[in-house]
Amino acid sequence: MKKVIAIFQTESRLFMRDFFAFFFTFAFPVFMLLLYGSIYGNEPTPYFEGQGTMDVSVPAYAAMIIGVTGLMAFPLTISTYKEQKIYKRFDASPVGKGMIMAVQAAVNVSMTVIGFILLFVIGKLVYDIRIQGDWFTIALAMLLSIACIFSLGFFFTALSPSTKINNLLCYISYFVMIFLSGATMPKELFPDVIIKVSKFLPLTHVVNTLQGTFRNAPVGQYRDSLVVLAAVMVFCVAAGALLYKKKSWM
Amino acid sequence: MREKLAQIERLKMRYGTVNAVTDVSFELYEGEILALIGPNGSGKTSTVECLEGLRKPTGGKIELLGCDPHENRRQIYKEIGIQLQETEYPDNIRVKELCRLFSAFYDRPVNWQALLEQLGLSEKANRMVKKLSGGEKQRLSILLALLPHPKILILDELTTGLDPEVRRGMWESLKQIRQSGTTILLVSHYLDEVEYLADRLVYLESGRSRFVGSLDEFRHFVRSKVPAEDWKESLTLEEIYLLMSPKTETLRWEGIL
Repeated sequence: MKKVIAIFQTESRLFMRDFFAFFFTFAFPVFMLLLYGSIYGNEPTPYFEGQGTMDVSVPAYAAMIIGVTGLMAFPLTISTYKEQKIYKRFDASPVGKGMIMAVQAAVNVSMTVIGFILLFVIGKLVYDIRIQGDWFTIALAMLLSIACIFSLGFFFTALSPSTKINNLLCYISYFVMIFLSGATMPKELFPDVIIKVSKFLPLTHVVNTLQGTFRNAPVGQYRDSLVVLAAVMVFCVAAGALLYKKKSWM
Repeated sequence: MREKLAQIERLKMRYGTVNAVTDVSFELYEGEILALIGPNGSGKTSTVECLEGLRKPTGGKIELLGCDPHENRRQIYKEIGIQLQETEYPDNIRVKELCRLFSAFYDRPVNWQALLEQLGLSEKANRMVKKLSGGEKQRLSILLALLPHPKILILDELTTGLDPEVRRGMWESLKQIRQSGTTILLVSHYLDEVEYLADRLVYLESGRSRFVGSLDEFRHFVRSKVPAEDWKESLTLEEIYLLMSPKTETLRWEGIL
């Protein structure tokens, strides 16, 4: 346990020192909330079926946080450690790379949760956001969303022969998904063709699922998204594990 | 009679179609400094990585501290210290944080602050690892290898790329470490280093161990292999090594030497 705690503390510190990860996990979603909140406020509107703009935006920004940690921070750390042979050094110690990777995943999940809490607290204090769903269902939806997007990041690291290619895959998928999934602006503003394209993006289904559970919508309204998230997760974990078996760690 | 800490018998290591190691055998005894020398591509690092348990050999037998190192890696790493040929650490980590992290991996680690002092790094404790010089990074990698209070220290090209002054400093550090009872396996390209530090050496060529023995025995061995006119009693280990090296043969044939 002493080893796990030491690795967790160190990796958390390194996460906080990474400007990109820190800014986009903690500061940027709050900045978006405050910016759009100051423009639109959070009065109930028929446009969002009686919800306020910020009520709808908070779960979308939560999806943005999952995108940052799952598609940027976590996979970029894995590929850098692998390419620079940092895992190899840990593998020549009583700890091993498996434990390091598991703790890195735990650190990134923890940072995601801290990002959520920060977002909710500020949303509640500043705009009195209304969360109609029960917290247990919301927590399950978040866990499934995190598992899906982190699996996708893991799959990219397994697929990429180098850190450069991994970074390219992660950056492209992150920015495409952030702008086309409804995480930064409501999908209701998109033209039909973009809405059709966005259905192929896993983060769109994260947004659907989180928005559905936040407003306590019937499961039927986001069941397809749940299925997509589960399917992407299973595929990415299985394919990633197979690809990793063929990789050299030396 | 000194205790045998490691034994390698007829080791083979193949990567796809490439035979990196075809027949390597030697033993490592308690308290000695054993050097592994040979030209580039002779199989030194592959041999050492098999001994460290990082690679599973494709043939032969390895015993380290009485067990198979690949099968008992986590246990073995509590008793041996390793410095890899290429070692990087996370970008934004400080020296003291890295020391503290690695210390947590062992049940009874050596006091890392004392090691920092001993290796002349105490003033660098707050510095980011990426900002250390090459020599400082190498000393840090020795420090991490020493944390478990190892019975055996395995150093792969410890002083490659360092200036002569820093190399000399490293040699003195290694002598002190050996005096404290640690056995050292040293992979090196520097024959002056081997001559200064090693009790015995293993000479590898094309994946085979061609010689195992003391430095004096190596002199006799080479003397018996080379033409009498090439031999002088005053030859340094490096000059003797060059007489053995297949690359030197090529240069001689081409009329360069």
